[in-house]
Parts: sequence; structure tokens; C-alpha cells
Amino acid sequence: MSTPTKRHVPLLIGYNKTKANVRGKKKVEVQLTSMIDMFTILVVFLLESYNSDGQIVTLSDALTLPKSTIQNPVSLRLEIQVNNRVIVVDGDPIVSVDENLLSTGNSIPVLVTRLRDHLEYSRQLRGTVTEEDTQINIQGDVAVPAILLQRVMSSCSEAGYATQNLEVIKMQEGGGTGNG
Amino acid sequence: MAKAASGRSRKVRHSESLDLLPVMNLFCCIIPFLLLSASFLEVTIIQMAQTEGIGAAGAGAVANLARSEEDRLQPKVILTDEEMFIGTVAGTAHVCYSFTQNVDGVDMLTYDFDSLTTKATEVHRLLSEAYPQIEFHKVTILTVEETRYDNIVAAIDACAASGFDQPGLQVAPTASVEQATDAAMGR
Repeated sequence: MSTPTKRHVPLLIGYNKTKANVRGKKKVEVQLTSMIDMFTILVVFLLESYNSDGQIVTLSDALTLPKSTIQNPVSLRLEIQVNNRVIVVDGDPIVSVDENLLSTGNSIPVLVTRLRDHLEYSRQLRGTVTEEDTQINIQGDVAVPAILLQRVMSSCSEAGYATQNLEVIKMQEGGGTGNG
Repeated sequence: MAKAASGRSRKVRHSESLDLLPVMNLFCCIIPFLLLSASFLEVTIIQMAQTEGIGAAGAGAVANLARSEEDRLQPKVILTDEEMFIGTVAGTAHVCYSFTQNVDGVDMLTYDFDSLTTKATEVHRLLSEAYPQIEFHKVTILTVEETRYDNIVAAIDACAASGFDQPGLQVAPTASVEQATDAAMGR
């Protein structure tokens, strides 16, 4: 049995680039089909997660929002962030969470003052207070106890914010979060 | 004299392949744009209901009366450390017992919210049949002080799935909630 000559050895890499082709200046074609398949899947996935509104709320790293199947879209409002260490209004830490804060169920005076100031600022800026100005978004950590949430909501009501929205992560009916 | 057939076709065979380069160009433009605008975590809101009273204006009196009736009849989901109840003016019913679940290495108290969905759906159906003139949307979540926020949201979620999509929150001391539920259950 004779060994195959160089000419009969199959060329596995660069299939179309045989010497004959290069010499004859034949057109070399790249196989794009598999790449197109992959891109099509990628485009469909990205179109599914496309959001024309953009991200209008900023999620803090110190918080883990609870998940919910409720579909109400979020709108840009004054935000309160609550976790087991601190209450933050519009980016400013207002009050630390300690045992005293968790002992009663009334409003938090420091928080009420800060919220009233913000509402008064809106009133002076526009000359009037609309219904939208009296809405507030609350971002609460999953581990926050009910008493703290109730105190924050009570403070919002006392300061004049009649509508309180709890921000949650949208969960699909099947149980997955968002699209990711 | 005719030439003998060689047995080979003289037709030049063209390979019929689609030109995919324009599609690739399009995809290369679309994919970075979509990657930038994709949101993998979508934030939504739960709007907490306000308690409404009867207004002074006479024109909306009937609607206001219906609303106040809804307020009077609205069910309460009661979360204690041991149990979950659902209560209406007609009475209080046990839903489930709490249990401990280990999530990310942390033991936390949780409840069977599927049972709550079932019970709340039944309550909504019974109320709608008994009072067809009223649309029932309001529900109050009454919890003890230590109940975790994610359990409250899960209870709100279960109620929303049953038709009670305007939740309110009440927090009461553990002793008073347990005393009230024990009395309601005749223990």
C-alpha cells in the first residue's frame, strides 16, 4: 500500500484556499450561514428585552427589591430607599435605622421634615402642587420589617405624599425575573 | 459528421447561494444598539390604596356610598408569625401555617401564597355574587411588626391575582393581632 501523495491529502482548514484556486484567482467565500443563525437568535432575544423607555430609576446596590408579577409601569418620582441600616431620600441619607426607630409605629419626624421641604420646593418652583407631585416611590429591601415600612409610609402621608408606590422587580408569570 | 457525445453536459453549473453580507451588516448595526437599550431587570410599581370616606358632594353620593360599602366589606389578609388568615365581615378563615425556608444560606419565614390565591379568589367570587353592584378591588394586608417586606409583597401579589388589586397596609403589635385572630377563630 503506497502512501498518499501530497495532492491527495485532504485540506481541512481553509477549504477553498487550495493552491489551484489561489493561482486561478477564484473567489474565496466565507460560510456565513452559522453566524447568521447565531445573530438571528441574538437579535430576537435582544428585541424581546428592548425597552424604549430606558432605565428611569436607579437601583441601589445596598437594596434587593422584592419580585412581583404586577405590571404597573414605573414613573419618575421622588424616591425613598429603605434598608435595615439607613433611610435615604433622593440620594441623601436622612436617618439611621436602629432599635428605637423600630420600637414604635408612628411617623419619623426627621423624614417628615425632609419630605415637606421637598414638597414645598416643588410648590415654589411651579407655583402649584399637582397630583403627580404628591406621588412618591419607595424602594425597600426584601429584609425590611413591616414596622419600618409602615413608619416610612406613615411619614409620607403626614408630609403630604398621598400616593405611595412600592417599587418591585417585574417577574414573569412563570417565575423568572424580567428578561434576564 | 456530428461529433460524438462525450457524456458530459456543457452547461456551466452556478452555485446558487444567497448573498448574506448585507444581512450581516444590518445585524452588526442592530446588535450594539439593542445591547445598549436592553433592560434585563424591569422595575414596576405597586400602588398602595388610600382610605376613602364619603364625600360632601351630593352628585357622587351613590358612587361614594358604594365605595364606602366596598371599604366596609374589603377583606383583610392577616400575617402573623405562625399563620396566615383571610378575614371579611362574614368571618375569618385560616389560610396556611408559616414555614421556614432557606434562601442563600439564610433561614426565613414564609407562607404558602398559592393557598392565599385560592382562598382570595373564592372570597372575591362570593363577595361579587353577594354584592353585584360593587366592584371589589381593595384589600388590606394586616401584619405583625416583624413580617418581612418580601412576604408582604408576595401577599399583595397573590391578592392581585385574585382580583384585589388595590392593596393597603396595616401593621399592629403581635400580641393584639394574635388576640384578635384567636377571638375570630373561636380559640
